[in-house]
Amino acid sequence: MSDPIRGQTAICGLGITEMGKVYGHDASWFAGEAIRLAVEDAGLQKDDLDGLLINPGITGMMGTGISIPLQNYLGLRNLRLLNHMNSFGATASAMVHFAAMAVHHGMANYVACVFSDAPLQQGGSAGAAYGGAGRRGPTGMASLMPAFGFYGANTSYALAARRYMEQYGITNNDLGRVSVTQRRYAVDNPHATMRQPLTLEDYHNSRWIVDPFHLLDCCLVSNGAVCTIVTTAERAKDLPSSPAYIWGMGQGHPGNLPHAEVETYTTSGASIAGETAYKMAGVGPEDVDICEFYDCYTYTVLRTIEDYGLAKPGEAIGLYPEDPSDPEADLPLINTGGGQLSSYYMWGMTPISEGVIQARGSGGERQVEQHDIVLCSGNGGTLDTHGTLILSPNAN
Amino acid sequence: MAYDKPLPNPDEQTQPFFDALQNHKLLLQYFPSADHYQFPFSDRCYKDWSTDWEWRESTGSGEVYSWVRMHQLYHPSWQAEIPYTLAVVQLDEGPRMNTNLVNVEPDDIVVGMRVQVLFDDVTDEFTLPKFEPA
Repeated sequence: MSDPIRGQTAICGLGITEMGKVYGHDASWFAGEAIRLAVEDAGLQKDDLDGLLINPGITGMMGTGISIPLQNYLGLRNLRLLNHMNSFGATASAMVHFAAMAVHHGMANYVACVFSDAPLQQGGSAGAAYGGAGRRGPTGMASLMPAFGFYGANTSYALAARRYMEQYGITNNDLGRVSVTQRRYAVDNPHATMRQPLTLEDYHNSRWIVDPFHLLDCCLVSNGAVCTIVTTAERAKDLPSSPAYIWGMGQGHPGNLPHAEVETYTTSGASIAGETAYKMAGVGPEDVDICEFYDCYTYTVLRTIEDYGLAKPGEAIGLYPEDPSDPEADLPLINTGGGQLSSYYMWGMTPISEGVIQARGSGGERQVEQHDIVLCSGNGGTLDTHGTLILSPNAN
Repeated sequence: MAYDKPLPNPDEQTQPFFDALQNHKLLLQYFPSADHYQFPFSDRCYKDWSTDWEWRESTGSGEVYSWVRMHQLYHPSWQAEIPYTLAVVQLDEGPRMNTNLVNVEPDDIVVGMRVQVLFDDVTDEFTLPKFEPA
């Protein structure tokens, strides 16, 4: 049995700014651009917006991220719903969840959900943007981390990946197959930053960041913003844009307790979030046409595939060809825009934006023929938080 | 050459932990009501929310939960060490802690291998609890 909210709400507008090393603007400017583009895409007017949900990215941690003042920056005078949200990479899904529930119950009609980030500075490195450089040193036991030389999210995900790799005999070449596959998709994505094709040899030759991760196992860091506008299915039908109907929503947040009683690195919240979303949508893993998965690292994709029941434990890599750079190789329909590894890193809005594009059938060269059920994931912390969204071009 | 890597920065609550390291003892918080050892420091047990606890000395024995080799330079003081080995060690008492794995070649490290704490007196004021094969 599917849920009564299934197909009753939709994403009716999508705004994607220029992405990557785009300098000279702050996060508010990018957010303004994305919202403007989304309103235009939906066929709405500025004053139609009566909901605004805000998610800052890395700049939020640096103190210069978007927040509630975005309302006044954009002169939004009709808001009936407003919040600044953060469950890290799961936030984008969560914003759409709460927006959908709000419009379904009449708390608002058109809710803009926006992610914006501008951590890259001319002459600075992506690692500096995300490694915590410049932040005040930790105190107490947290101060042991830099004392041991632990830095950044790369380390914690590399630890997670190593445990999985040793458990199932997964190799670096296997991780490379994920990376090369996604790059092949990015070649056909005009929004993508990295559009040069890759080979497995390129993958192996890319420098080590933290073994088992090469540079090409790690996502990009991007300046830019994405906005989605959520409304009811009924309203969406009257708009000129083609809606992506929301069939399923779910969250799962296992946290990350460092204790023998809790397995952390080889599990994620996707199993709980996915089960909830599948049930709401009335579909199962066998019905999914396209996956848009949060891919901060290559390993995250394999983890997510298995936790959504799309492959048995340790067998996600079996969905990928031995050599994805071979033009004859059939690629899995996973991260069809190149993902965070190759297109752009907008936290959970990377998978959702490509999910909306595919559900609407507007993917151009990379459009997947069968696109009735699109499964999108968001993931935050070190596999601590998770959000799921199931989209469809069909209302039911 | 003087030790130039980042040093711990104890606060009031964790000072006894860092003091004990200097005496080559690894302390864990023990919460009697839940019979639970906890690390890193918290003023509350996450199992039953009790705030009654005591310091207890760990055996310092455990196993490698996972490990990596750090190649990226985030702080200039690590230049000569790169690549170095970072690990998460699951202590026999239950808690997992982040640490350095030393006195072992990377090719010999596997998840699950037995390890024992090694107290590295990096300066006159600070000792770091690293681990080596048991």
